[in-house]
Amino acid sequence: MWRAGPELLTVLTICPDESAVLLDLYETPVKVDIRELELAAQQRWQEQMNAWLIEHEELNRNR
Amino acid sequence: MTQGVVIFAFNNERIDYLAMASWSARNIRRHLDLPTCVITDVTDTARTADFDQVVLTEPQQTQQHRYFYDYKASAVWHNINRSSVHDLTPWDHTLVLDADFVVASDQLKLLFNIDQDFIAHRMAYDVTGFSAFQDNNWFGTYKMPMSWATVMCFRRSKKAQLIFDTMQMIRDNWLHYRQLYSVSENTFRNDFALSIAMNIVDGHTLSTPAIPWDLASITANTKLTQLDPDTYKISYVTGDDKPKWIVLKQQDFHAMGKQALGAIVANPC
Repeated sequence: MWRAGPELLTVLTICPDESAVLLDLYETPVKVDIRELELAAQQRWQEQMNAWLIEHEELNRNR
Repeated sequence: MTQGVVIFAFNNERIDYLAMASWSARNIRRHLDLPTCVITDVTDTARTADFDQVVLTEPQQTQQHRYFYDYKASAVWHNINRSSVHDLTPWDHTLVLDADFVVASDQLKLLFNIDQDFIAHRMAYDVTGFSAFQDNNWFGTYKMPMSWATVMCFRRSKKAQLIFDTMQMIRDNWLHYRQLYSVSENTFRNDFALSIAMNIVDGHTLSTPAIPWDLASITANTKLTQLDPDTYKISYVTGDDKPKWIVLKQQDFHAMGKQALGAIVANPC
Protein backbone atom coordinates (compact mmCIF):
# COMPACT_ATOMS: atom_id res chain seq x y z
CA MET A 1 0.00 0.00 0.00
CA TRP A 2 1.15 3.53 -0.82
CA ARG A 3 -0.04 6.97 0.20
CA ALA A 4 -1.06 8.91 -2.92
CA GLY A 5 0.49 12.37 -2.99
CA PRO A 6 2.98 14.61 -4.77
CA GLU A 7 6.00 12.59 -3.62
CA LEU A 8 4.72 9.26 -4.96
CA LEU A 9 3.44 10.91 -8.15
CA THR A 10 6.82 12.51 -8.79
CA VAL A 11 8.65 9.22 -8.37
CA LEU A 12 6.21 7.50 -10.73
CA THR A 13 6.49 10.30 -13.31
CA ILE A 14 10.28 10.13 -13.52
CA CYS A 15 10.40 6.31 -13.78
CA PRO A 16 11.40 5.59 -17.39
CA ASP A 17 10.37 1.92 -17.45
CA GLU A 18 7.02 0.16 -17.36
CA SER A 19 7.83 -1.57 -14.10
CA ALA A 20 9.98 -0.77 -11.08
CA VAL A 21 10.56 -1.82 -7.49
CA LEU A 22 9.22 0.67 -4.94
CA LEU A 23 9.14 0.60 -1.14
CA ASP A 24 5.58 0.55 0.18
CA LEU A 25 4.33 2.22 3.40
CA TYR A 26 5.85 -0.62 5.42
CA GLU A 27 9.21 -0.38 3.65
CA THR A 28 8.60 -3.63 1.83
CA PRO A 29 10.01 -3.67 -1.73
CA VAL A 30 7.22 -4.36 -4.23
CA LYS A 31 7.50 -4.73 -8.01
CA VAL A 32 4.82 -2.55 -9.58
CA ASP A 33 3.39 -1.62 -12.96
CA ILE A 34 4.39 2.05 -13.01
CA ARG A 35 1.64 3.33 -15.32
CA GLU A 36 -1.12 1.45 -13.47
CA LEU A 37 0.02 2.77 -10.08
CA GLU A 38 0.50 6.27 -11.48
CA LEU A 39 -3.07 6.32 -12.80
CA ALA A 40 -4.53 4.99 -9.53
CA ALA A 41 -2.46 7.40 -7.40
CA GLN A 42 -3.37 10.38 -9.59
CA GLN A 43 -7.08 9.52 -9.37
CA ARG A 44 -7.09 8.98 -5.58
CA TRP A 45 -5.09 12.13 -4.94
CA GLN A 46 -7.35 14.26 -7.15
CA GLU A 47 -10.49 12.77 -5.57
CA GLN A 48 -9.27 13.82 -2.14
CA MET A 49 -8.06 17.25 -3.28
CA ASN A 50 -11.40 17.94 -5.00
CA ALA A 51 -13.32 16.85 -1.89
CA TRP A 52 -11.08 19.08 0.24
CA LEU A 53 -11.63 22.06 -2.10
CA ILE A 54 -15.42 21.63 -1.97
CA GLU A 55 -15.34 21.37 1.84
CA HIS A 56 -13.05 24.39 2.09
CA GLU A 57 -15.29 26.55 -0.12
CA GLU A 58 -18.36 25.44 1.82
CA LEU A 59 -16.71 26.43 5.11
CA ASN A 60 -15.65 29.79 3.68
CA ARG A 61 -19.23 30.48 2.59
CA ASN A 62 -20.54 29.60 6.07
CA ARG A 63 -18.01 31.89 7.74
CA MET B 1 -9.24 -16.57 2.48
CA THR B 2 -12.33 -15.83 4.57
CA GLN B 3 -12.78 -12.33 5.96
CA GLY B 4 -14.99 -10.86 8.66
CA VAL B 5 -15.37 -8.54 11.61
CA VAL B 6 -15.30 -9.58 15.27
CA ILE B 7 -16.74 -7.52 18.13
CA PHE B 8 -16.47 -8.36 21.84
CA ALA B 9 -19.61 -7.56 23.86
CA PHE B 10 -19.72 -8.29 27.58
CA ASN B 11 -22.29 -6.13 29.33
CA ASN B 12 -21.76 -4.72 32.79
CA GLU B 13 -24.24 -3.20 35.23
CA ARG B 14 -24.18 0.15 33.41
CA ILE B 15 -23.35 -0.38 29.75
CA ASP B 16 -25.13 -2.53 27.17
CA TYR B 17 -22.18 -3.36 24.94
CA LEU B 18 -24.22 -5.95 23.04
CA ALA B 19 -26.70 -3.29 21.88
CA MET B 20 -23.76 -1.16 20.69
CA ALA B 21 -22.25 -4.16 18.90
CA SER B 22 -25.57 -5.02 17.18
CA TRP B 23 -25.94 -1.45 15.92
CA SER B 24 -22.31 -1.55 14.77
CA ALA B 25 -22.93 -4.86 12.94
CA ARG B 26 -25.66 -3.17 10.90
CA ASN B 27 -23.29 -0.30 10.03
CA ILE B 28 -20.58 -2.80 9.09
CA ARG B 29 -22.92 -4.65 6.74
CA ARG B 30 -23.99 -1.37 5.14
CA HIS B 31 -20.49 0.02 4.59
CA LEU B 32 -18.04 -2.89 4.53
CA ASP B 33 -20.28 -5.70 3.28
CA LEU B 34 -18.50 -8.15 5.57
CA PRO B 35 -19.90 -10.84 7.89
CA THR B 36 -19.85 -10.08 11.61
CA CYS B 37 -19.23 -12.24 14.65
CA VAL B 38 -19.93 -11.32 18.25
CA ILE B 39 -18.02 -12.85 21.15
CA THR B 40 -20.33 -12.62 24.12
CA ASP B 41 -21.88 -14.37 27.11
CA VAL B 42 -25.46 -13.40 26.16
CA THR B 43 -27.41 -16.53 25.21
CA ASP B 44 -30.62 -14.79 24.12
CA THR B 45 -30.65 -15.41 20.34
CA ALA B 46 -33.06 -12.51 19.73
CA ARG B 47 -30.39 -10.14 21.03
CA THR B 48 -27.68 -11.56 18.76
CA ALA B 49 -29.79 -11.78 15.58
CA ASP B 50 -27.82 -8.99 13.85
CA PHE B 51 -24.67 -11.12 13.70
CA ASP B 52 -23.75 -13.80 11.18
CA GLN B 53 -21.94 -15.79 13.85
CA VAL B 54 -22.10 -15.87 17.63
CA VAL B 55 -19.29 -17.24 19.80
CA LEU B 56 -20.46 -17.86 23.34
CA THR B 57 -17.84 -17.63 26.02
CA GLU B 58 -17.70 -16.53 29.61
CA PRO B 59 -15.85 -13.30 30.35
CA GLN B 60 -12.69 -13.81 32.31
CA GLN B 61 -13.55 -13.39 35.98
CA THR B 62 -12.27 -10.03 37.08
CA GLN B 63 -12.58 -7.62 39.91
CA GLN B 64 -11.27 -4.94 37.62
CA HIS B 65 -13.29 -1.75 37.78
CA ARG B 66 -13.00 1.24 35.52
CA TYR B 67 -14.26 4.76 36.15
CA PHE B 68 -16.53 5.95 33.31
CA TYR B 69 -16.32 9.76 33.22
CA ASP B 70 -19.64 10.28 31.45
CA TYR B 71 -21.51 8.06 33.95
CA LYS B 72 -19.50 9.54 36.82
CA ALA B 73 -19.33 6.04 38.28
CA SER B 74 -17.24 2.87 38.24
CA ALA B 75 -18.32 -0.44 36.75
CA VAL B 76 -16.81 -3.88 36.25
CA TRP B 77 -14.79 -3.90 33.04
CA HIS B 78 -14.75 -7.26 31.23
CA ASN B 79 -11.99 -6.49 28.79
CA ILE B 80 -9.29 -8.99 29.52
CA ASN B 81 -10.00 -11.89 27.17
CA ARG B 82 -9.34 -9.89 24.00
CA SER B 83 -6.14 -11.84 23.42
CA SER B 84 -8.15 -15.03 22.82
CA VAL B 85 -9.53 -13.66 19.55
CA HIS B 86 -6.97 -15.54 17.44
CA ASP B 87 -8.48 -18.82 18.69
CA LEU B 88 -12.11 -17.66 18.67
CA THR B 89 -12.41 -15.91 15.30
CA PRO B 90 -14.20 -17.93 12.60
CA TRP B 91 -12.19 -16.20 9.83
CA ASP B 92 -8.69 -16.30 8.30
CA HIS B 93 -8.45 -12.52 8.01
CA THR B 94 -10.15 -10.72 10.88
CA LEU B 95 -10.91 -7.15 11.74
CA VAL B 96 -11.48 -6.72 15.49
CA LEU B 97 -13.44 -3.63 16.49
CA ASP B 98 -14.40 -2.26 19.87
CA ALA B 99 -18.18 -2.15 20.38
CA ASP B 100 -17.89 1.63 20.73
CA PHE B 101 -16.10 2.10 17.40
CA VAL B 102 -18.50 3.76 14.94
CA VAL B 103 -18.27 2.65 11.30
CA ALA B 104 -19.55 5.45 9.06
CA SER B 105 -17.56 4.81 5.86
CA ASP B 106 -15.93 2.01 3.86
CA GLN B 107 -12.39 3.06 4.83
CA LEU B 108 -11.73 -0.06 6.94
CA LYS B 109 -12.03 -2.23 3.81
CA LEU B 110 -8.56 -0.99 2.86
CA LEU B 111 -7.08 -2.88 5.81
CA PHE B 112 -7.70 -6.18 4.06
CA ASN B 113 -5.48 -5.05 1.16
CA ILE B 114 -2.48 -4.40 3.39
CA ASP B 115 0.12 -7.14 3.21
CA GLN B 116 0.78 -7.42 6.96
CA ASP B 117 -0.08 -10.20 9.43
CA PHE B 118 -1.09 -7.77 12.15
CA ILE B 119 -1.79 -4.05 12.21
CA ALA B 120 -3.37 -1.63 14.66
CA HIS B 121 -3.50 2.13 15.11
CA ARG B 122 -0.33 3.75 16.41
CA MET B 123 -1.74 7.25 16.94
CA ALA B 124 -5.13 8.56 18.02
CA TYR B 125 -6.40 12.15 18.03
CA ASP B 126 -9.29 14.10 19.46
CA VAL B 127 -11.49 15.24 16.53
CA THR B 128 -12.30 18.52 18.29
CA GLY B 129 -8.58 19.28 18.52
CA PHE B 130 -9.36 20.68 21.94
CA SER B 131 -8.12 18.25 24.56
CA ALA B 132 -4.45 17.49 25.16
CA PHE B 133 -4.97 14.05 23.66
CA GLN B 134 -1.35 13.50 22.70
CA ASP B 135 -0.62 12.19 26.21
CA ASN B 136 -2.77 9.16 25.35
CA ASN B 137 -0.41 8.13 22.57
CA TRP B 138 2.33 7.25 25.04
CA PHE B 139 2.20 5.61 28.44
CA GLY B 140 4.38 5.05 31.50
CA THR B 141 7.25 7.11 32.84
CA TYR B 142 9.45 6.16 29.86
CA LYS B 143 6.85 7.19 27.25
CA MET B 144 6.26 3.83 25.63
CA PRO B 145 4.46 4.42 22.29
CA MET B 146 0.85 3.24 22.42
CA SER B 147 -0.70 0.83 19.94
CA TRP B 148 -4.49 1.04 20.15
CA ALA B 149 -6.47 -2.20 20.46
CA THR B 150 -9.66 -0.42 19.30
CA VAL B 151 -9.12 -1.53 15.69
CA MET B 152 -6.92 -4.55 14.96
CA CYS B 153 -6.65 -6.38 11.65
CA PHE B 154 -4.83 -9.71 11.54
CA ARG B 155 -4.37 -12.78 9.40
CA ARG B 156 -4.36 -16.19 11.06
CA SER B 157 -0.58 -16.51 11.20
CA LYS B 158 2.35 -17.27 13.41
CA LYS B 159 3.05 -13.59 13.99
CA ALA B 160 -0.53 -12.79 15.04
CA GLN B 161 -0.55 -15.86 17.31
CA LEU B 162 2.71 -14.67 18.88
CA ILE B 163 1.33 -11.19 19.50
CA PHE B 164 -1.84 -12.52 21.14
CA ASP B 165 0.11 -15.08 23.22
CA THR B 166 2.43 -12.30 24.36
CA MET B 167 -0.58 -10.12 25.27
CA GLN B 168 -1.84 -13.00 27.38
CA MET B 169 1.56 -13.37 29.08
CA ILE B 170 1.57 -9.63 29.85
CA ARG B 171 -1.98 -9.80 31.19
CA ASP B 172 -1.13 -12.79 33.41
CA ASN B 173 1.95 -10.99 34.76
CA TRP B 174 0.58 -7.46 34.69
CA LEU B 175 2.14 -6.43 38.00
CA HIS B 176 5.61 -7.18 36.62
CA TYR B 177 5.03 -5.36 33.30
CA ARG B 178 3.34 -2.46 35.05
CA GLN B 179 6.47 -1.98 37.15
CA LEU B 180 8.82 -2.57 34.21
CA TYR B 181 7.16 0.13 32.08
CA SER B 182 6.40 2.26 35.17
CA VAL B 183 2.68 2.57 34.44
CA SER B 184 0.88 4.57 37.12
CA GLU B 185 -2.66 3.48 36.17
CA ASN B 186 -4.00 0.54 38.19
CA THR B 187 -6.36 -0.71 35.51
CA PHE B 188 -5.09 -3.25 33.00
CA ARG B 189 -5.72 -2.06 29.45
CA ASN B 190 -5.55 -4.08 26.25
CA ASP B 191 -3.87 -1.06 24.66
CA PHE B 192 -0.94 -1.39 27.08
CA ALA B 193 -0.66 -5.14 26.55
CA LEU B 194 -0.87 -4.79 22.77
CA SER B 195 1.76 -2.03 22.67
CA ILE B 196 4.21 -4.04 24.77
CA ALA B 197 3.44 -7.30 22.91
CA MET B 198 3.90 -5.83 19.41
CA ASN B 199 7.20 -4.31 20.44
CA ILE B 200 8.45 -7.58 21.98
CA VAL B 201 7.47 -9.57 18.87
CA ASP B 202 9.20 -6.98 16.65
CA GLY B 203 12.41 -7.36 18.65
CA HIS B 204 12.10 -4.17 20.75
CA THR B 205 12.75 -2.03 17.68
CA LEU B 206 9.78 0.34 18.19
CA SER B 207 9.03 -0.07 14.49
CA THR B 208 5.78 -2.02 14.55
CA PRO B 209 3.64 -1.74 11.39
CA ALA B 210 0.62 0.49 11.92
CA ILE B 211 -2.62 1.40 10.17
CA PRO B 212 -1.66 4.21 7.78
CA TRP B 213 -4.07 6.75 9.25
CA ASP B 214 -4.76 7.88 12.81
CA LEU B 215 -7.65 6.86 15.04
CA ALA B 216 -10.31 9.59 15.25
CA SER B 217 -11.60 9.78 18.83
CA ILE B 218 -14.42 11.58 20.58
CA THR B 219 -13.79 12.04 24.28
CA ALA B 220 -16.36 11.49 27.03
CA ASN B 221 -16.54 15.18 27.94
CA THR B 222 -18.21 16.16 24.66
CA LYS B 223 -21.85 15.77 23.61
CA LEU B 224 -22.34 13.38 20.71
CA THR B 225 -25.57 13.36 18.67
CA GLN B 226 -26.53 11.71 15.40
CA LEU B 227 -27.89 13.92 12.58
CA ASP B 228 -28.37 11.23 9.94
CA PRO B 229 -27.15 7.60 9.67
CA ASP B 230 -23.56 8.66 8.90
CA THR B 231 -23.40 12.22 10.21
CA TYR B 232 -22.65 13.11 13.82
CA LYS B 233 -22.50 16.40 15.70
CA ILE B 234 -19.99 16.87 18.51
CA SER B 235 -20.65 19.76 20.89
CA TYR B 236 -18.10 20.85 23.43
CA VAL B 237 -17.08 23.76 25.59
CA THR B 238 -13.64 25.33 25.30
CA GLY B 239 -11.40 26.26 28.23
CA ASP B 240 -12.76 29.81 28.18
CA ASP B 241 -16.36 28.51 28.32
CA LYS B 242 -17.20 29.07 24.66
CA PRO B 243 -19.66 26.52 23.24
CA LYS B 244 -18.52 25.01 19.94
CA TRP B 245 -19.55 22.17 17.67
CA ILE B 246 -18.27 20.26 14.68
CA VAL B 247 -19.95 17.83 12.29
CA LEU B 248 -18.40 14.54 11.19
CA LYS B 249 -19.73 13.12 7.95
CA GLN B 250 -18.80 9.63 6.75
CA GLN B 251 -15.90 9.49 9.20
CA ASP B 252 -15.25 6.42 11.34
CA PHE B 253 -14.47 7.22 14.98
CA HIS B 254 -13.96 5.83 18.46
CA ALA B 255 -16.73 7.06 20.79
CA MET B 256 -15.16 7.16 24.23
CA GLY B 257 -18.35 8.43 25.90
CA LYS B 258 -20.49 5.31 26.24
CA GLN B 259 -23.56 7.13 27.57
CA ALA B 260 -24.00 9.31 24.45
CA LEU B 261 -23.38 6.36 22.13
CA GLY B 262 -25.85 4.27 24.14
CA ALA B 263 -28.52 6.95 23.58
CA ILE B 264 -27.83 6.96 19.81
CA VAL B 265 -27.99 3.17 19.66
CA ALA B 266 -31.31 3.20 21.54
CA ASN B 267 -32.81 5.74 19.07
CA PRO B 268 -30.83 5.63 15.81
CA CYS B 269 -31.66 7.86 12.81
